Amino acid sequence: MLNKKNQTIVKTVSYILLIIIAIYCVFPFIWMVISAFKPKDEIRTAIPSFVIHAPTLENFKKVLFQAGFINYIKNSFIVSVIACGLSMVIAVMAGYALSRYYKQKLVKVSNFAMMLSQMIPGVLLLVPLYMIMQKFHILETYLCLILAYTTFVIPLCTFMMSSFFDTVPMALEEAAEIDGCGKAQTIFKIILPLSVPSLISTGLYAFINAWNEFMFGYIFISTDKYRTLTPAIMLFKGANTIDWGGLMAGSVIAVIPVTIIFLFLQKYFLAGLMSGSVKG
Amino acid sequence: MSKLLKKTDGKLTRDQQARRYALVMLLPALIFLACLIAYPLGKVLHDAFSHVHLINKSMTGFAGLDNFKKVVSDEHFAQAIRNTIFWTVFSVAGEYIMGMLTAVLLNQKFKGRAIFRTLVFIPWLVPIIVAGMTWDWMLNPDFGIINYLLLKVGLISEKINFLGDSRYAMATVIFVNIWRSFPYYTISFLSAMQSIPADLNEAAAVDGAGMFTRFFKITLPQLKSVSLVIVFIHIIWTAINFDFIWVMTEGGPNYATETLPIMIYRYSMKTFDVGAASALSTMMFTAMFIMFLFYYRKRMKISDDLS
Repeated sequence: MLNKKNQTIVKTVSYILLIIIAIYCVFPFIWMVISAFKPKDEIRTAIPSFVIHAPTLENFKKVLFQAGFINYIKNSFIVSVIACGLSMVIAVMAGYALSRYYKQKLVKVSNFAMMLSQMIPGVLLLVPLYMIMQKFHILETYLCLILAYTTFVIPLCTFMMSSFFDTVPMALEEAAEIDGCGKAQTIFKIILPLSVPSLISTGLYAFINAWNEFMFGYIFISTDKYRTLTPAIMLFKGANTIDWGGLMAGSVIAVIPVTIIFLFLQKYFLAGLMSGSVKG
Repeated sequence: MSKLLKKTDGKLTRDQQARRYALVMLLPALIFLACLIAYPLGKVLHDAFSHVHLINKSMTGFAGLDNFKKVVSDEHFAQAIRNTIFWTVFSVAGEYIMGMLTAVLLNQKFKGRAIFRTLVFIPWLVPIIVAGMTWDWMLNPDFGIINYLLLKVGLISEKINFLGDSRYAMATVIFVNIWRSFPYYTISFLSAMQSIPADLNEAAAVDGAGMFTRFFKITLPQLKSVSLVIVFIHIIWTAINFDFIWVMTEGGPNYATETLPIMIYRYSMKTFDVGAASALSTMMFTAMFIMFLFYYRKRMKISDDLS
């Protein structure tokens, strides 16, 4: 047992450490937001300050309207939402099979294949994927990104769903079957309504992953029309002298949707993510 | 789908039926994995032994080990391997320590715990490109806040070009990578810690075990399997990470941060030598596959022990 005095010391030290860590984690965002609202002469100064003397929306205007970020945001949304929907359908089906039929050989092999796929990075497959997309003439479209993003989240999403299905008692399904429900009906009427929290976390993971992805978007898309947000930020930096204010405004825009979604749904998200990762 | 299933209901045994369901349910996932992972992977292994060029399509034919020879004799190859190992080992070690520390801190009962947990998790959500750019901006030698603060506090005597100086570039990129990746460890460890029975800790405390003894003798052993999973996945994810280094330094300055994925990118998208890029990818994949097998066996042993 710890005595009172020791307890106070432990608590104080913990708080101090946590505050330092929290600053370490959050400071870059604070600085990003401050910089995004600063006019040019306050950005390019050797004595940076936390106070903005003449706050401005200039950086946001420039990025959104002149640099075409409105279009990139739209593209990112389209790609992420479709990739998210597609991954969820596939992950629910595969996750169900992994959970309920785990004794079958095919399922065991699939499980192994998914674990292995999770270890195979996009960059190793970059060239052949590029060539496949080229062959089917889908480079410079939403489709190539949607396919790539979906593929690489299938393993983890499947594990997330299957570890949830593991917790749904078999008896529920058997009861439904006795009542005359077919398999599809059982899944849609009994299992899925129970799975809403896991569906949310799986979908969130797929969405965030697609929203944040950089490499495929950078390489598969070279026209402004279909460019997504993350490569756009990289290219924005490359243009002659770096416009840090604009760059930070673009970063704020890229971070906002993910952060908002996370803040509202973090309970589901963290639980689901953990069950999937520990299983996979 | 349901039509297909219903038609066969009457004639099949339960076992056959289950097999059919499993196949139908797994099919979409398997199609994706086959077309967009297995096939490209086969292509990489094939191209590694062929002459392939992304633009010059007249380059064809069996290359034997030419591509491997070319890659290995690249003057930056040895350095790229060293960089990859350095980058991976220090990133994962740093993430593990930071993750464990924050998990231990957050596993106590105190006011504001939920807020701290949320704050700590935020870096993980950010697109790598944004993380890279923001740190790049903060570390800027002319206008960056970090140089300014370090100078003011007196920790450094002149401004440091963190990303532009080959002495500091790798360490800096690793530091930023740790910042962005450690929250995943924190959350994993935290959820594992919460499943450790509380009376275990209390009993040890009654027996006079101090805080540190309890951590090393009770908590740490209980985190063995989650540690294995997390560390292994992150070794792979870090070793193969392209985005972080590309966004921050593009492998520079003077190849100081060039890792194998950057080299693969250079061969494929800069010189368009697909054969050489595939040879590099093959070597990387082989190394990873060996590690995977080792991990898979260990993993199966742990699940057997648990059940």
